[in-house]
Amino acid sequence: MILPASYRLRLPLSLSVSAIATALLMALAVGLQTLANLREDQGRNALSLGHAMAGVMIQALRTDDVWLAYSLLRGPEGGGADSIWIVADANGRIFASNQPRRYRLDQPLREALPWLPEEGDAVLGQPTGRVTPVAQDEVRRLLRLPLAVDDSRVGELVALLSDAPYLPRFREILLGGVLVTVVVLGVLLPLGWLWGRRMVAPLVRLADCMARVGREDPRRMSCAVQVDASEIGQLGQRFSSMLDALAEKAELERQVVQAERLAAVGRVAAGVAHEVNNPLAGMLMAIDTYRGTREPDAQTRQLLDLLDRALQQIQGTISALLVEGRADTRHLRPEDLDDLAILLQPRLVRSQAVMVWRGAIARPLGLPAAPVRQLLLNLLLNATEAARAGGLVRLRLAQGEGELRLHVDNTGEPIPPERLPHVFEPYSPDRPQERGLGLWVCYQIVTQLGGHIRAAVEDGVTSLRVALPLGREGRE
Amino acid sequence: MPSCTRRAFLTATLAAAAVRSARSEAPPLRFGVTPVMLDDELGFLNRWARWLERQLGRPVVLVQRSRYRELLDLLLRGRLDLGWICGYPYVQHRKELSLIAVPRFQGRPLYHAYLIVAADSDLKTLADLQGRLFAWADPDSNSGYLYPRFLLTTSGKDPDHYFRRTFFTWGHPRSIDAVAEGLADAAAVDGYVWETLARRAPQRTAGTRVILRSPAFGFPPLVASAALPDALRRELRRLFLAQVQDAEGRALLADLNLDTFSIEEETLYDDIARMAARLAQGAVG
Repeated sequence: MILPASYRLRLPLSLSVSAIATALLMALAVGLQTLANLREDQGRNALSLGHAMAGVMIQALRTDDVWLAYSLLRGPEGGGADSIWIVADANGRIFASNQPRRYRLDQPLREALPWLPEEGDAVLGQPTGRVTPVAQDEVRRLLRLPLAVDDSRVGELVALLSDAPYLPRFREILLGGVLVTVVVLGVLLPLGWLWGRRMVAPLVRLADCMARVGREDPRRMSCAVQVDASEIGQLGQRFSSMLDALAEKAELERQVVQAERLAAVGRVAAGVAHEVNNPLAGMLMAIDTYRGTREPDAQTRQLLDLLDRALQQIQGTISALLVEGRADTRHLRPEDLDDLAILLQPRLVRSQAVMVWRGAIARPLGLPAAPVRQLLLNLLLNATEAARAGGLVRLRLAQGEGELRLHVDNTGEPIPPERLPHVFEPYSPDRPQERGLGLWVCYQIVTQLGGHIRAAVEDGVTSLRVALPLGREGRE
Repeated sequence: MPSCTRRAFLTATLAAAAVRSARSEAPPLRFGVTPVMLDDELGFLNRWARWLERQLGRPVVLVQRSRYRELLDLLLRGRLDLGWICGYPYVQHRKELSLIAVPRFQGRPLYHAYLIVAADSDLKTLADLQGRLFAWADPDSNSGYLYPRFLLTTSGKDPDHYFRRTFFTWGHPRSIDAVAEGLADAAAVDGYVWETLARRAPQRTAGTRVILRSPAFGFPPLVASAALPDALRRELRRLFLAQVQDAEGRALLADLNLDTFSIEEETLYDDIARMAARLAQGAVG
């Protein structure tokens, strides 16, 4: 049998087909069993009827009373009985039968029934008579009952039994079975169909969801798969885990790509800065030397000052690009944070923002003071600028699990989600008016310190979250 | 006149009649009938007996025997007062029996013997019946035994070897059934029985066809035992003759398919006596 590919149809169909097959086989089995029982009963009944008639038959044979034998065989049904009964006399001639037109009086039994087995010991040895199966068109079982008085044969009673009375009953049983089957199936099939579909439904949902993998971003996929102890539930669970792993992998890849891009930009910037820095230092030194050895006139001094300032500006810009872990061994102390608060005060006043400071450090931490100060200052200045008038700036400091966590929040205009992955790139196109190196510098510092930084927007609050690993001193 | 399978019912009926007779002062009249004529008529016979009882003012006991011979023996031995027998046994024992009354059928105290075959059979004459299966009614029946044997004998045939096989059915209706059902190819039956059955149960005679009607014979008579007192004999004669004048008696006659009863001479049965004599000669010869 060719089943459709989908279990959506296959399972309900299989249930229905097995229900139908079971019902039909049951009907057939009951029918055949009944037929066998009826046949057995028929043989037994015929034998007892033969015994019941034997006495009168012997009397009829001895007194040559054909009518008596006939009226007994004819019975209340007349000639319409399903079984054929024949009495033969001692010479093997028909004495009476319940079908007198077919089995004529005085006709030799052997002529009427040529197929009748020879009377051997099989029959004579069975004075109580016996029923044997025969394979004739109309006759299925043959009863032979010898009629004897004191061991002297006076005749024989023969009954030809057919299936005719039972076939209609057999058909009736079969038909009844089929009808019952149809009725039962009328109830069972829709139930089985629904049940099958219900059983298959989680599998179908899982398959649908799986088909979406590869076409959709696993981080945004949500699938209502069944998760329980059943095999399908376990499959669902594994699938959910797989989706999570895929989402994690995609996120990692994205971070790696971003980090690599930022690192590449950093390397280019650092290279350019080094190349520019050396001639710049030379030019500044030349101007200084010139001033020390000569007394320039007013016009020259003015020119030199102009040059000096321009070169200093270039150097300032370059040094901003050139973020390097300086050989600063001083550890971050609580006072550094106090300094930051003081440094920020004028800016807060000017922007009318409110600063909330949570958490503090109790003792020096295993982190270099200068980069962390620069990092925090940058972050806080950015936040103050973004918070605008009346906005809130919040710093949260927390120490734990070998790292220092710094969260800087502001309630200003949130960063649009599509811009979040790009906030750490220099000269961000969405803020063209700024120098745009603030967050990039922060990123460089955090990366050099071995930590990580990310930007997030939650409930309209922009949050920059930094985690810095602590050195040995800080952990003690 | 029920068959012997009804014996149990019959016994009960006789017992009831015996109880009734014990109450009565006069001795009961014993009336014998056989199923050779009509069967399955117990209800009717009882009504007839009750009617006779009322007319006679004494109990009437119905005695049934399955064969003419038994009935005749009872009559000859005085165990029966009255009997309805065939003309053949009557002519054989005319001296010991007295003729009471003869039923009149279709206006005459006569009837015919019929030779019947199956309706779908192609047998047409007695000659066709040679080597066939033949059913006799009763060895003491005129129409069902004596007449067909006489017919064969006068045609120069031996009635004992003319047919392939013969058997007795012990009743005309049964002979009709035997032919209709194919047990026998042909049978000789009482024409009155055949006609009556054709009226009452046409489906039973429908399977048969009459191929030969005999000359008219004296109808089976009601006879009395020689021992029956003359007074009672006269009373019975008067009773049967007057039955047609009584409403209930007329209804009973109608049920029997008879017109009335009449007093006939013994000579009515001379034809039967001649046939019997001819066969007796043949048997001797």
